[in-house]
Amino acid sequence: MVGGAAESSDEALAVRAAAGEDSAFEALVLRFHHRVFRLACRLTSETDAPDVVQETFWQVYRHISSFRGDARFSTWLYRIATNAGLMHRRACARRPAESLNQFLPRFNAAGRLEDTPDALRIACRVDELLDRDELAKKAKAAVDGLPVLYREAFVLRDLEELSTADVAQVLGVDPATVRQRVHRARLMVRAHLSEFAGGRP
Amino acid sequence: MKEIVCMSGVELLMDYLEGLLTPDVRTAIEAHVTGCRRCEAFIASYVETPRIVRDATRIEMPADLESSLLAALRAARGAES
Repeated sequence: MVGGAAESSDEALAVRAAAGEDSAFEALVLRFHHRVFRLACRLTSETDAPDVVQETFWQVYRHISSFRGDARFSTWLYRIATNAGLMHRRACARRPAESLNQFLPRFNAAGRLEDTPDALRIACRVDELLDRDELAKKAKAAVDGLPVLYREAFVLRDLEELSTADVAQVLGVDPATVRQRVHRARLMVRAHLSEFAGGRP
Repeated sequence: MKEIVCMSGVELLMDYLEGLLTPDVRTAIEAHVTGCRRCEAFIASYVETPRIVRDATRIEMPADLESSLLAALRAARGAES
């Protein structure tokens, strides 16, 4: 255990790491590696996540002196990890992103939802209808199918449960943009879940 | 203000859930949803979607990754200095 690290704030540890204290850097690694791994799995894959985690902390080490004490360390770290995940995916084969329109719920000319309440609700039942492994695979495929801008926002906001304001900081966009991207991602993922549960997308 | 129908309500749903709408728009949405079983069902599935995907994609880090990560980072630091 690193002396005194357990009680220190993330930002205090970052300042000590920037001053060249290796034990402070390692304390930050130990504090955040689980979260970065989880994020990396969701942005890339379980196979690629270890590389993304290592790349993330290497970038943290190399650039820690540029960390500004006025931002939260976790926000800064999430930005590096998200970029590392993105770079990794760019290096891999990409599949074409699907367009939003086919995932929107259907409305009639008067703007009323067309599907019945049961059909609209079926996405909620996907976790009772599919077994765990099957659902894990399909849920991941639904996230992977999102356009990259929606995917980042959805993963950070809805899966990692950052606040909208924090996601805006991580992605360097305004909160309204985050809300728009997350909303569209939810519509698309929801449609996939409906389909997996045997309903219409 | 225009009357809320399902379609305009869906567009405003994220802002509604984040508490960003003015009280009159908020009230209009609630008035619509109260009488609309389709919207009620749609909202239930929209709200549940993040939770379902979050639970289904939660993967814990393998125990041996911590030591290999620290070792790799130490080696990289050693190579750089």
